[in-house]
Amino acid sequence: MSALLDHLPELWQGLLVTLQLTVASFAGAAVAGTVITALRVSPVAVLRLLGTAYVETFQNLPLLVLLVLAFFGLPEIGIKAEPLTTAIVVIALYEAAYVAEALRSGVNAVARGQGEAARALGLTFGQSLRHVILPQALRTVVQPLGNIFIATTMNTALAGAVSVVELTTAANRVNLVEAQPIPIFVGAGLAYALIAACAGFVTGRLERRLVMVR
Amino acid sequence: MKKMVAVVALSLLGLAACGGTGSTGGSAVPPGDAQPAASDLLAKAPVADPAAIPPGSTMDKIRKRGELIVGGSLDAPLLSQQNPATGQVEGFDADLGKALAKYIIGEPKVKIVNSASETREALLANGTVDVVFQTYTITPERAEQVSFAGPYYVSGLSIAVKKGTTGIARPQDLNGKKVIAGANTPAIPAIKKVAPQAEIITFGSDPECVQALKQDRGVAYVQDETLLVANAKKDPAIQVVGNPFTQDPYGIGLKHGDEQFKAFVNDWLKKIQAAGVWQQAWKNSLGTVVQGEAPAPPQIGSVPGS
Amino acid sequence: MSLLFDEPGPRARRRIRIATVAGTLAALALTALAIRQFGANGQLATERWEPYATWPMWRYLLTGLWSTALAAVATAALSMALGLLLALGRLSDRRWVRAPSAAYVEVVRVVPALLLVYVVLFALPRYGLDLPLFWKLVVPLTVSNAAAFAEIFRAGILSVERGQSEAGLAVGLTRAQTMRLIVLPQAARRVLPSIVSQSVGLLKDTSLGFVVSYGELLYSGRVLANYNGLLIQTFVVVALIYLAVNASLSKLARTLERRSAARA
Repeated sequence: MSALLDHLPELWQGLLVTLQLTVASFAGAAVAGTVITALRVSPVAVLRLLGTAYVETFQNLPLLVLLVLAFFGLPEIGIKAEPLTTAIVVIALYEAAYVAEALRSGVNAVARGQGEAARALGLTFGQSLRHVILPQALRTVVQPLGNIFIATTMNTALAGAVSVVELTTAANRVNLVEAQPIPIFVGAGLAYALIAACAGFVTGRLERRLVMVR
Repeated sequence: MKKMVAVVALSLLGLAACGGTGSTGGSAVPPGDAQPAASDLLAKAPVADPAAIPPGSTMDKIRKRGELIVGGSLDAPLLSQQNPATGQVEGFDADLGKALAKYIIGEPKVKIVNSASETREALLANGTVDVVFQTYTITPERAEQVSFAGPYYVSGLSIAVKKGTTGIARPQDLNGKKVIAGANTPAIPAIKKVAPQAEIITFGSDPECVQALKQDRGVAYVQDETLLVANAKKDPAIQVVGNPFTQDPYGIGLKHGDEQFKAFVNDWLKKIQAAGVWQQAWKNSLGTVVQGEAPAPPQIGSVPGS
Repeated sequence: MSLLFDEPGPRARRRIRIATVAGTLAALALTALAIRQFGANGQLATERWEPYATWPMWRYLLTGLWSTALAAVATAALSMALGLLLALGRLSDRRWVRAPSAAYVEVVRVVPALLLVYVVLFALPRYGLDLPLFWKLVVPLTVSNAAAFAEIFRAGILSVERGQSEAGLAVGLTRAQTMRLIVLPQAARRVLPSIVSQSVGLLKDTSLGFVVSYGELLYSGRVLANYNGLLIQTFVVVALIYLAVNASLSKLARTLERRSAARA
């Protein structure tokens, strides 16, 4: 137990980095995912193709491979960023594919008449998407988005591979010094559970507020 | 159902075909440490006097099995690195393992169990492996859980920088700087000891650390000296500064308390050193990057814990 | 698709054409720029790619892929079995079965797989349980994926109309028989696409094998990079292999989805 308490500052720092990674990359994923969804339902075939190719690529590659490839590969094409920034961007782009997939099923779940009504009112594609379809789609996907948020939290653990000292890496380092794996890893596990529990609570509240009863 | 099998099968075929057409390119095996001398080395390696292997001993069990099970790595260049072209494991540790197998069995038959460094004690204790050859530094703390034969080699950690870097000459100069190290390597505690103010950033493998150094993710890379020398030789952008700042005596890990086996392995070490096999193994591996003759092997039993 | 736009008129058609050209050009320009920069840094030099035109390198990577497949199949089989038990447990009407099953799913769902790998790798050997390499990867992945499969199965079972099981009970089947003969077969068919996509996720998870140094595809890639020093090239090749395999599996999931949709 003392191993846990002695190294509380390092673990706390790791937790902060994990939170930073999670929140920033989920926000990025939400934005990028929305854009990709727009591409995938647009009337332009090339854009639809690009959107689909994006989702296919990012869903079918292990995040770990993406992280390492981006971290070492991007500087070779002239893009170099801090490890934390790189990790945030890569995780955001990776999770964006899942967000896009969830949003698309949400868009498909919006009643047909809604889109037709929007067009009958003379709204353009962009307007009907922004004012009519997406707000309704979002409501049906609160739960799936909550799950993606939790998955994002779990996936930030892989940022350690590109030298970001987040919670799992911090726990591993403490364990290398103290060799007390059980209290250290259980402590880290509890911290993750706590983040997920908060996310679950928030999505529960959101859902009750937003979901329309049909 | 049929269709999906076809899809998977096709994609696999496609992959195989890619490789197949490529193979007409010839035997462009990447530059590595080709070692025609390896078989030569093993031919020279001694075989134990049958009287040295009493029935019921660990050596006897290994001989009856016909195979020595070694705990080691596949990704330690110069020491124990798998050659993807042949599937063979090459390097100093790997060769010594084969030589030990020949000493016991009469033939260099080994099976390498790839072991993460944290689990070596457990692997030895429950008998999964007979011996561990894996840059296993002898320490009194470890000696409470395993027995060490040797030391058979002394290495040390060194510092590499990008060519042209100034201001780093001694380990203390690392204070306040970003220092690259391999994840889960002994470099991490060593840096913390000599330069407590250094910020350590870690990567999973040696080429990643080298790439990170070249991309200025950190100003220095701390690693075993021989590995750094090998990297500097391959890549002119990297240079090694100063001498090693630690002394790590490597031992051969054995099951704790098996004094008979330990004495036997120590005997073998003396024999291969006298026969020049040890020196040859060094020349074939570490000697390809370090200049000069093979160093004098360390005195057996000369460090606490051995 | 026609949900969001009508059959385009002449102006819309012109706009679509412009967007098509602009989109294509932007994508091509970005790709070309990236490749040019990549080449300018010497990463496209022939000798850096040559090793991957030789059979031994591919043989080594495909051996790694085979190990990946073995680990993935073992994990999938075990975690589906465990997941089914957990799903049934969560739907049981006995509290002492329901509560632990629910607790397992809720807890494991929120613990990173990497953390579970560390526990098996570092913690268990101290208590005398040192698993062989293969199981050091398969056990934590099974523990973590079982929770996901449990949720998939539970959703499938709940999606079968009540009337089905009521009818089963009405003709005199026991609860167990109803579940086995009537509900599960229908549920299994509905969740097949989710199972395949979860399996893709699981296959991606096996890349954690490099942490335990189990010789799967990513670890093989690292050993290769260690040997030839071609870090970026090796990772590009490894990524392409993952992409080819997983894209086939995803395609399979979509085919199944379409087929089950057509049947319903």
